[in-house]
Amino acid sequence: MSCGNPTTEPDALMQRRKKYDKTKNCVKCKDTQGNIVIRHAVYCKNCFIPLLVHKFRRTLEPSVNPKPDGPRRTALKPAGNLLVGLSGGLGSSVLLDLIYKCYIALDKSTMPAEGGRDHPRHERVWKKVTVCYVEVCDAFPGMKDRTEEIARFVSRYDELDFVPLRIQDAFDRTWWEKTGRKASFSDMGVSLSDESLLIESLSAGHPDPLTALRTYLSSLPTPTAIHTSIQILTRVLLLHTALQTSSSHLLLGTSLTSLAVSLISGVAQGAGFNVREETMEEWTPDPETRPTPDVVLDDVKDGADKGKKQLKRTVRVVRPLRDIGMKECAAWAWWSHIPIVGKEKWVWPGAKPGIGTLTKDFILGLEQDYPSTVSTIVRTCGKLAPKGEVSGKCILCGRPAQRGVQEWKARISIRSQPPPPPADPTDGSAPPVPVVPESKSDTRPSLTPYLCYPCHTTLTSRSARPVPSPWPNAAQASVVALPVWTEARLGAGAGGEPSPADEEIMVAKKMGQAEMKGIVNEFLLDD
Amino acid sequence: MSAINLKIEFGGGLELLFSNQRSHRIAIPANVPVPTPEGSDVQTKPADLTYLIFWLRDNLLKERAELFVENGTVRPGVLVLVNDTDWELEGEGEYQLKDGDEIVFISTLHGG
Repeated sequence: MSCGNPTTEPDALMQRRKKYDKTKNCVKCKDTQGNIVIRHAVYCKNCFIPLLVHKFRRTLEPSVNPKPDGPRRTALKPAGNLLVGLSGGLGSSVLLDLIYKCYIALDKSTMPAEGGRDHPRHERVWKKVTVCYVEVCDAFPGMKDRTEEIARFVSRYDELDFVPLRIQDAFDRTWWEKTGRKASFSDMGVSLSDESLLIESLSAGHPDPLTALRTYLSSLPTPTAIHTSIQILTRVLLLHTALQTSSSHLLLGTSLTSLAVSLISGVAQGAGFNVREETMEEWTPDPETRPTPDVVLDDVKDGADKGKKQLKRTVRVVRPLRDIGMKECAAWAWWSHIPIVGKEKWVWPGAKPGIGTLTKDFILGLEQDYPSTVSTIVRTCGKLAPKGEVSGKCILCGRPAQRGVQEWKARISIRSQPPPPPADPTDGSAPPVPVVPESKSDTRPSLTPYLCYPCHTTLTSRSARPVPSPWPNAAQASVVALPVWTEARLGAGAGGEPSPADEEIMVAKKMGQAEMKGIVNEFLLDD
Repeated sequence: MSAINLKIEFGGGLELLFSNQRSHRIAIPANVPVPTPEGSDVQTKPADLTYLIFWLRDNLLKERAELFVENGTVRPGVLVLVNDTDWELEGEGEYQLKDGDEIVFISTLHGG
């Protein structure tokens, strides 16, 4: 059987499949004509609103109490305040609207029907809610500063504190001190020009935050690395702000669609070990960068010793829109009259789209044609359990690092190859084996042992083609400044913590035939 | 030639491509020519949503057409509402426009 020709045979074209099942009526109330199709199911506007609130609450509330997934018979009692990350995009704007209606204004339309009027669920959950916006306009040329628009947007809602940050605060010691930490560490930087990532001192002293940011971005090897680094800097700035505002929860407006994008793009960049952290994570600051001693006075009456309780400050990062697709967010925003400020694309002259941009285009197309597939991606990733042990936290992104990745990387990759010896066809010997050249520079302190696999790859994986920099004039420094939290940990490490120089150093060298024979001699069979 | 009047709204940041103006009132022809091979008689059909999308691209759009139109329809990630109802329930691009219709285009591309 051959394929028909659609120009001559109209029946040869497949019938276009309807985007909804059976009827146009709402699947919940049955008799009203539907307004929106969500993964083939039709909902009317009146049923859509409570459905979305239900999905939001169902995702968020099990993680509000310190013990997650515990019985929720009692009221929701978080261990601290709430910080909401706002980017100005659709997801985070919808998130803020939902937080406000459900937990601040206590809007009746968003309350669950069961439980009665005085049910503890209807009380205010977080005492203080702060909104944090990180302005990234200084990272890319020609981008508009939207801080004022965002501030206006936040002012629509009462009782919210607003903390505007700038992306260069990640390199600002003054900001670090404002968060309650000491900034008395030496001027150290890293050489991003080769993959050994040697830690060196900044010869010209610590640059101003904006210069440091632009130099850092310009020294990164690919557009993907620039995008990923901005995301990491933003995330860690938010985490430290959560700590500063005594927040136990940081909420992000990652929708189902955005989560599918970040999962796939993360795996593509080597972050498979952190696939769980993309959905939900618990972040604890490093001991050396904690702002205050972790001892709080409890109001227990029996004795001063018992009254002191060791508290490990933890920020739980939750994405309450992770069951809600981008289309549902757009419909909620439209029907709730939320003015979306919007985000600009992270582009600069000559830049090619990175892995994140390409993945987003792919997932959006997939969602359009096969709406359920995006949900399948997220559910499948939710079943993954990373293999391997955790070996501390990455000094750059703060996520768990997998043990032994550098040894594994050294085993599987050819780092450098000596020039091949002149070919001798009569020799018949095996081709030369590539070896890593023995070098004295390998013993110098490097950032590598402190990094997780994806961050190491982000800093070192080079493109075969030349990459235009967003700030070509800034790409002059051979040693670039690091984010303040990285500097703080490196500084603490130099003062007593094990430094990479103290650790076991592995050097690969080519072994002579006689030496090799000496080692295996006792296992050789006699001729 | 008769015309139909429509109210067009843009949301979610899509208005930035249309002179940063959220609401527009437009009039388009009720019947539009169907593309046919050269030499054959010109045929017409009632104006549909696909025609409107290209009309908006050619008459109202100010910049970056690739962010609005792709492969003969709106770009993936743009939600279209016809009189407050998802266009997927109305036949998408084949929906025949009526006088007084309100068509909303909302971009979902502004991430989290």
